[in-house]
Amino acid sequence: MGRVKARPVWAFLAGPYALFLLLLLIVPFANVALYSVHPYSPTRIVLPELTFDNYAKLFDLYYARLFGRTLRLGLITTIVCAVLGYPLAYWLARARPRLQTLGLFLLIMPLMVSTVIRIFGWIVILGRKGLVNEALAGLGLDPVKLLYTETAVVIGLVNIFMPFMVLPLMAAIERIPPSLEEAARNLGANWAQMFRRTILPLSLPGLISGSLLVYSVSISAFVTPALMGSPRERMAGQQIYDEVLVSFNWPSASSLALTLVLVTLLLMFAALYATRRAGRLERDK
Amino acid sequence: MSGRAPSMLLPFVVAVYAGLLAPLVVVIAISFGPSPTFAFPPTGFTLHWFAEFFASDTFVRSFFRVSLVVGVLAAALATLLGTAAAIGLVRFRFFGREALETFFLAPLLVPQILLGAALYLFYARVALSASIWTLLWGHLIICTPYVIRSVTAGLVGMDPRLEEAAMSLGATRVQAFMKVTMPLLRSSLLSGAIFAFIISFSDINLALFLSGPESTSLPVHIFSQIQWQGDPTIAAASTLQIVIIGLLILIVQRIFRLRLMV
Repeated sequence: MGRVKARPVWAFLAGPYALFLLLLLIVPFANVALYSVHPYSPTRIVLPELTFDNYAKLFDLYYARLFGRTLRLGLITTIVCAVLGYPLAYWLARARPRLQTLGLFLLIMPLMVSTVIRIFGWIVILGRKGLVNEALAGLGLDPVKLLYTETAVVIGLVNIFMPFMVLPLMAAIERIPPSLEEAARNLGANWAQMFRRTILPLSLPGLISGSLLVYSVSISAFVTPALMGSPRERMAGQQIYDEVLVSFNWPSASSLALTLVLVTLLLMFAALYATRRAGRLERDK
Repeated sequence: MSGRAPSMLLPFVVAVYAGLLAPLVVVIAISFGPSPTFAFPPTGFTLHWFAEFFASDTFVRSFFRVSLVVGVLAAALATLLGTAAAIGLVRFRFFGREALETFFLAPLLVPQILLGAALYLFYARVALSASIWTLLWGHLIICTPYVIRSVTAGLVGMDPRLEEAAMSLGATRVQAFMKVTMPLLRSSLLSGAIFAFIISFSDINLALFLSGPESTSLPVHIFSQIQWQGDPTIAAASTLQIVIIGLLILIVQRIFRLRLMV
């Protein structure tokens, strides 16, 4: 096909969305960066002076705890997703095409339904008079407080972000030829040995990129901790929401948001790199 | 022998799926149950909560006048923007093409709650008050990458010789594209558009910041109803969303490789 060199047709085609992103993605985050270096004023929201107090404040005990809790819950969510998601990814990767289609539908359909609806379902299940506690009462046991705890938040996050773990893992496992498994088995390895020596190391890029994805979306979660967590034990997303919409401390929200964005972007690019590297290793083979 | 592992895993896989689907099953079940306190399993069958849903001004407005309208507009505009961008990226070679490709997927890398906050602060800076339009611009940012991804996949898999053949028969470049490539791209376009609609329709993180009092989207309305301990009308509204999204995903799965979309 002849390539047009004289007129930059690509600029007319790709230009509109590029401009759109410039105006509504880059400029808003530049605006956030600007807010983050101005002092907060209860009456005028922002004062026209330069300060780095909003960043220094992030080292206060309150924010250190907030970050600590956020990063810890993200880590637990990631580990649970990996433990539950790995067998699922392996099963999907090796399933017959029809089963795989069904499995993917059942995995992706809940992902597309609004987070708030799935969390609503969990509230009904875990609530004081919910499914779990009714079952316990039926067995003559005392009700347990499940909702508004960190456990509830982790259950919700795992439920919502599981596909982000399973899909990259499944792609990685699919690239491993089943003949490799057979070869290991024929050479006398039992299933566990075969798994540890062949499947696990070869699927590691998928596991890494899935984990980074799950971690980065967990640490910026809002709806799940807001509806299922304790109001006293908040995550970073809730803090930002409150500072923007409730207390109108936009400078503080901005420094927090910018820090979180940078952490997330770093993790996301690491995930992209892991996936691309896996692809390149595949091609070199 | 190697086929043993998957069947051995089956009980575990079923258990994980049960956990994944449990909240949706529970929501659908209580939307048809008579209990106003979300008792599960339901003790009877009623359409009462659906009647309540359609009788509620706020639910009807958020569903039909906000979420559906913004979803359809977002899908249409994202398809226009995204298709043009994908064609520009795949069919042309220019300096910085790969950087632009990464830039176009950037909205998927930024946490949505932070994008929502950043847009809210930007709209506040330029004194733009919340409306359906502010919500729509926000949704266009996160919907368009899905169209780009879908159309790119469609274009990459296409034989360029088809267009060359049309051009050797006298078609201009534009004619060849419109008459030969576009019809072949139909399924990628359609699944891109459907996905854009779903992303907009189920979004809550941006809408929490960008919805005004007159433009509360359905997920945001459900969110506030949960906080105010509403009745199973929430479940009825949720069931409607689940059914719509489930059907749309089935369509995408029929016409396109679903896995590419996520």
